Amino acid sequence: MSARGAHVDVVRLLMLALVAILLLAPLLAGGFLLYSLSLCFANTLAVLSVSMLVRYGGEVSIGHSFFVALGAYAVAIIEHRFGLSIVVSLPLAVLLGAGAGFVFAFPSRRLSGIYLAVATMALALALPEILIGFEKFTGGFEGLYIAQDLLPGMPKALQRYYVALAVLVLVCLALAHFRKSAQGLALLMAQAQPRAAEAMGITRSWARISIFTLSAALAALAGALTGFASSTVSPNSFTFFSGVFLLVGSVVSLNRLSLPAALVGGAFITLVPTYLAQAGDWVPILYGVALVVVTLVANAGDLRRFLPRGMRR
Amino acid sequence: MMEAVTSDGLVAEGISLSFGGLHVLNDVSMTLQPGVVTGLIGPNGAGKTSLFNCLTGLYHGQRGRSSFAGTPLNGLGPAQRAACGITRSFQNLAMCPDLSLLENVLVGLTLKRRSGWFSAFVPTQAQRAEQQDAERRAMAALNELGIASVAHEKPSDLPPGTLRLGEIARAIACEPRAILLDEPAAGLNAVETRDLMRALKRLMRPDLVLLVVEHDMDLIMELCEQIYVLNFGKMIASGTPAEIRAHPDVIRVYLGDDADD
Repeated sequence: MSARGAHVDVVRLLMLALVAILLLAPLLAGGFLLYSLSLCFANTLAVLSVSMLVRYGGEVSIGHSFFVALGAYAVAIIEHRFGLSIVVSLPLAVLLGAGAGFVFAFPSRRLSGIYLAVATMALALALPEILIGFEKFTGGFEGLYIAQDLLPGMPKALQRYYVALAVLVLVCLALAHFRKSAQGLALLMAQAQPRAAEAMGITRSWARISIFTLSAALAALAGALTGFASSTVSPNSFTFFSGVFLLVGSVVSLNRLSLPAALVGGAFITLVPTYLAQAGDWVPILYGVALVVVTLVANAGDLRRFLPRGMRR
Repeated sequence: MMEAVTSDGLVAEGISLSFGGLHVLNDVSMTLQPGVVTGLIGPNGAGKTSLFNCLTGLYHGQRGRSSFAGTPLNGLGPAQRAACGITRSFQNLAMCPDLSLLENVLVGLTLKRRSGWFSAFVPTQAQRAEQQDAERRAMAALNELGIASVAHEKPSDLPPGTLRLGEIARAIACEPRAILLDEPAAGLNAVETRDLMRALKRLMRPDLVLLVVEHDMDLIMELCEQIYVLNFGKMIASGTPAEIRAHPDVIRVYLGDDADD
């Protein structure tokens, strides 16, 4: 018991150290790096939304970019039409994401595995058409700008950074709390032992609808912050592949819901493409190599079987 | 015409179940009285688990009806029957590997828990109190089965006997009115079976319906006061252990036709 307690303390200290480093980072980094990090935090939230669906629902989505875009455009459109800042639009975006998630999850509550994944693909495929088709609201190809500050008087770059970081840390804390909650335990049971869960009053459709709705709400929150952190939304940022990259980020983070693991996933889909961009035509190849390397290293625990017999432990 | 028997217990009347052309259960009736440990035995393939699944709502018989404490159960699924106070265990251990033993038992309390979605993400005073109350009840259930000392272990670190007791702890944590156990002694060694039997006897209360499905004759004979015997989907005998032991059909089923030679 004391060994467990000590372990928890070490983990907690490392977590605090990581947050402290991120809080102090703007003293050292500036300009483009700071901007990239802000986007990285927002993308980390989007990765978390996919990981949450995998962890608690056992399902895979390749269309979560739809809900991310929904959140981002909600912030942009509310600012354009009503002149309101993200103080108002952020909670609205989350509600909108939850609503859209529910509307998608209800009819597909009997789908699972590859069938659900393909159904979410429909969302990702429809997304660019919707964004361009509803030009009157979405600004078409050009997209919309998000100009309003959240904290007046603070430099724009710092605002983006700290708001995204604060929301990310709060979401990680909320997810840690959720793991112990009645609903969290019920969802994990429904995923691992659906029949046993049913005998305890936890129906499969309740589990599927709940986790998809929650995950979509988190994706919309991530989208709202993506919009805020990049000050702009346009169809370029929400292509079919955005959804695939979110899944890649989730795999790289081993579908974990802790801050450091999710940050690795978020950084992988944000920073690696940015810094590989100088390589021109080689980008997809280098990205592929990086993906393989990261996945292998992240799964190092399972790699022991490739070692010669004598070296395995 | 006689009215349906109303009783405090769990009653199944004239249940027939078939899959395609295969008749699994044929006009089977049984009454589980509160305060009595009831056993259901029969050779492999007799239809024990099918009848069990009809009682828990996983299967629905083509004919017949069932009721619990006078409330009709026909058409209700497992989750709705759980809400009526009927819990069950599984022949194969059904623990979630990611959760500790205590957390697995906590899931059994899901229907009793009242904290909403908001407090699932944001700690509140009321939620903390509710959580502690649920943990106290789960610990009490583990305590009752004598396995509270391993509450924080993961299922993968525990022997099957302990996990089986854990499943029963999960079933009793929500203070059910009926507990149905599907082969609770499957895969247990002699010592673990003895512990299990002792735990089951301790659980018994005058208002509790307890059904044990087993093919271990000795366990059933020692534990149960009322025994039903199923063979080829038909109820061939029912009665006290002494009556069952002397019943000619039961002897034929268990010892073969040449037993009288």
